[in-house]
Amino acid sequence: MSEVEPVSPEELRAICEFLYRRTGMLFTEAKRYYVQRRISDRMNALGIAPFRTYFAYLRSDADGEVEKFINAFTINETYFYREDHQLRCLSSDLLAERVRAKRPGEMLRIWSVPCATGEEPYSIAIWLLENWPQVDVQDIEIIGSDIDTQCTAAAAEGEYGARALMRLSPQLVEKYFVPVGKDRWRVVPELRQSVQFSSANITKASETRQHGIFDVIFCRNVLIYFDDASRRVAAENLFEALAPGGFVCLGHTESMSRISPLFDVRRFRDAIVYQRPHAGGKGGGSNG
Amino acid sequence: MPLVRKPPSQAPATVASPAPIEGTSEQRWAAVRDAAERPDGLALLADALSREGARDGDPRVREAIFTSLARLATPESAAVVVPYLRSDDANLRTGAIDALRAMPLACLSHLPALLRDGDADVRLLSCELARELPDEEANRLLCELLERETEKNVCAAAIEVLAEIGRPEAVPSLVRCAERFAGDPFITFSLKVATERIAAPARDRQ
Repeated sequence: MSEVEPVSPEELRAICEFLYRRTGMLFTEAKRYYVQRRISDRMNALGIAPFRTYFAYLRSDADGEVEKFINAFTINETYFYREDHQLRCLSSDLLAERVRAKRPGEMLRIWSVPCATGEEPYSIAIWLLENWPQVDVQDIEIIGSDIDTQCTAAAAEGEYGARALMRLSPQLVEKYFVPVGKDRWRVVPELRQSVQFSSANITKASETRQHGIFDVIFCRNVLIYFDDASRRVAAENLFEALAPGGFVCLGHTESMSRISPLFDVRRFRDAIVYQRPHAGGKGGGSNG
Repeated sequence: MPLVRKPPSQAPATVASPAPIEGTSEQRWAAVRDAAERPDGLALLADALSREGARDGDPRVREAIFTSLARLATPESAAVVVPYLRSDDANLRTGAIDALRAMPLACLSHLPALLRDGDADVRLLSCELARELPDEEANRLLCELLERETEKNVCAAAIEVLAEIGRPEAVPSLVRCAERFAGDPFITFSLKVATERIAAPARDRQ
């Protein structure tokens, strides 16, 4: 990589504000190294310098640069069965409650957002196939969405390295993956066809609304990157995307109670989750 | 495989919003959420907040109004929220402070007046807003407050913020405040902690 001259504090602030307006992700001088590295990567990839020329290129969205720039900032590393206590909670408590609230034959809908490269929605699918007895009689739709379209394209391909599969037993790997090269595996076609992927920014109501209403939403480890205003907007978008009585699972370091009073806290044996109150307002959220 | 894959989304496209202050709770919720993107959004949100802020208002709609005002993040949208810091309704006061905290720079032009407000509770809550400002502005405003403030709880709130973001220039104001509240053990302790924390980085740099 050729050396790109470090951006000035004013330039850093300008590009961080640009990123914030587009995505809700907030970076400051404290994250200079992280931001600078991504700016340098993009400038090197394009062969553009100095920074002000690149910023003009970015602002004009030449050749879809805005999307590529945003993609450089999203956190994509994850693995199968990450925070599996929430998956246990899903199969042992959440789905049973949601099924009781539905008419016979009505589909359950689960949303993984952001889904990165697909490990989470495929994990949900594998977990339910392995651990939820009703999986054979209940229609379930699983959707994975991410702001990063390269990620969703990779997710649809469903190819992973050993690191992503480290928490799966050899039996599960053999059952749901096929080897495609040295230390590479691909999700079996039947499973890939069971999960749908799409693009969505959870701070944009116009994008989340297009995905319909869900029974359970997994939204893990993204709200921590947002500032207060964007977190509030995202929380309201999640609320709106849930059926009354539906659940949202956050990352273990995140707390919806610090973001929004809209949700009830539900404490189940395996996890704390947040619930959109049943019709009639808050108050249905006693301990699970 | 029993899982179902459906064709790309079947959900309806975004529907045009009704007037923000009419209709069911669901309609009002949707409308106030969309108002932040309307040219007349500020006036609509101000009107909606005056209605939902009433005793029989819907807390969920109220929350969405505060979020939309925070999204606007202008001095004008902050001005709509500021009066609710004086509400008798604790939930409304909390909603207002949370909304203002989510738009710190938009609060900047209001803070000098808020920190001189006749209501000590408003001054106390406003100290917390200063925490989100650039350090220089926050130090200046809180030091000015410390020089004149007579309510010890307000001083305590300002001292707590300065303990986190205080700069060496704040120390003289803290010392003078300590002299005024010399007989109060809590203020004395808080001031000691704050001045030590502020002094520590400067000492470390030497």
